[in-house]
Amino acid sequence: MTGEGRELAVTHLAYLDAGSGSLIVQAVVGGVAGVAVAAKLYWRRLVARFRRQPTDQG
Amino acid sequence: MALPDTGLRDEPGSFRDPGNRVFHRAGEVLRGLDERSARDWRALAASDFFRDLLANGQVCGTQELFPTPVDVPWAAVLRHERVPFVSHPYEWSYGMLRDAALLHLEVLRAALAAGFTTKDGSAYNVQWRGARPVFIDVGSFEAARDGEPWAGYRQFCQTLLYPLLVQAHLGLDFQPFLRARIDGIEPDQMRRLFGGARRWRAGVLTHVHLHGAMQDRNAEASTSAVRAQLRAAGYSRELALATVRGLVKLVRRLDHRPGESHWSDYQRTCAYSVQDRQAKEHFVDRAVATMGPGRVLDLGANDGRYARIAARHADHVVAVEQDPAVVDALYRALRDEGERRILPLVMDLADPSPGGGWRGVERAAFAERAQADVVLALAVVHHLAIGRNVPLPEVLDQLAALTVTGGSVVVEFVHPEDPMARRLLANKPDGLFPDYRREAFESLLAARGRVVARTELPSGTRTLYQVVVGG
Ligand SMILES: C[S@@+](CC[C@H](N)C(=O)[O-])C[C@H]1O[C@@H](n2cnc3c(N)ncnc32)[C@H](O)[C@@H]1O
Repeated sequence: MTGEGRELAVTHLAYLDAGSGSLIVQAVVGGVAGVAVAAKLYWRRLVARFRRQPTDQG
Repeated sequence: MALPDTGLRDEPGSFRDPGNRVFHRAGEVLRGLDERSARDWRALAASDFFRDLLANGQVCGTQELFPTPVDVPWAAVLRHERVPFVSHPYEWSYGMLRDAALLHLEVLRAALAAGFTTKDGSAYNVQWRGARPVFIDVGSFEAARDGEPWAGYRQFCQTLLYPLLVQAHLGLDFQPFLRARIDGIEPDQMRRLFGGARRWRAGVLTHVHLHGAMQDRNAEASTSAVRAQLRAAGYSRELALATVRGLVKLVRRLDHRPGESHWSDYQRTCAYSVQDRQAKEHFVDRAVATMGPGRVLDLGANDGRYARIAARHADHVVAVEQDPAVVDALYRALRDEGERRILPLVMDLADPSPGGGWRGVERAAFAERAQADVVLALAVVHHLAIGRNVPLPEVLDQLAALTVTGGSVVVEFVHPEDPMARRLLANKPDGLFPDYRREAFESLLAARGRVVARTELPSGTRTLYQVVVGG
């Protein structure tokens, strides 16, 4: 009835994993040292994204 | 895979971890393990922390069967101690859920310190020996991998921590939430309940809001990728232990007591004279004593006075009561006495726990679990027959259905002239229950069993019966 678009959105959701966030948040609730780990994780993701960009284009 | 000709029955509530499964054979509770789970088990069995948990009674008694049975498709088979009565978290009181959470965290803490962890964090990992919680999911232990957070944290939040927050911070009974959703309350739903200033309540900002936001933001990332990233960023076992300590501290702070309710003060305010009470206690004591050991079900147990009398003779007593505050007070009293044979449960007899989960059998309905050698229905039939309009024959059918053949129903009939019955009748249109009479009640009893004892209480408006069902 709402067509294929909605169907796609629903299947897409089914493959997403709510567990990933549940893993990261545990670092944050683990105190100062944990926040540092979470910060490092995000920093590395950021750096990885910038590194990838030039090669993606080239 | 069921092999029916060997008398083997898979436990319908145990399929979520394909590596091991509970099954029943000849009255024994067994757990089959695949190769990998068998290796985990052997490491566990050799560890000191597990031995200590077993010795303290925090984990249910478990032994490996030697030689391994050859007629089952498993690499190893364990035999578990049988818990007296299987209950579900939505049948527990607040204090019970809180103690179950603390036990789960203590088991996890001990495991982490010894290089192990648990694969999940569900409230369903806990059962009861009387008023003492016991961790039953021995298949959940595995070696911890360095640098990995607890895989069970989300389940712990959804089935233990969030229900506690809902009740402690919002004053809502948690049981309906857990009964309606087998996987518990999701962070997204919790965020809606805890908007505005409520976000500042203990534990809410991190375990609810941050948790939900992190889930949304990382939904595209697979858990294995995130595990690798966390490891690379230096997540350590010390951090995992710090998280557990934080959770323990939070749960300890949530020491909420459900408020006083109508039934909380029943024994002090009830209409019984001392003589009535003594006669009733004596009758119940004699009736349970003649049945010998076994299971007693006390329906409408209130403060557990008669459950305690039954426990003098029975192996274990399941005390069912609709009022969560009353059950919580009873649980705390039993726990502080170190009682191991009386299990208090929250349940409305007019709306007993249905079957739940996959195919409606993953969590067995109350009627499937509850058959007892003696069923006590003391000063409760009028609440069902008048208060809830359940036809009297059906009330008695239900009492008989909960009793094993040859077992006893011990039932109190409150005459329509009794002050308490009059109060209930006053709320209903005149003449609505013409059959609520003693003669009608007695002929209904006679149709369902053999009345072996009867006594009038001295006040003259209540009669007690012991009926042997199917006898
Ligand atoms: C009059 S008291 C009797 C208590 C105890 N059995 C005795 O004989 O002293 C009735 C108790 O039954 C409980 N009760 C009433 N209706 C119930 C129902 N539908 N399901 C479970 N408990 C119920 C009440 O909460 C109350 O604690």
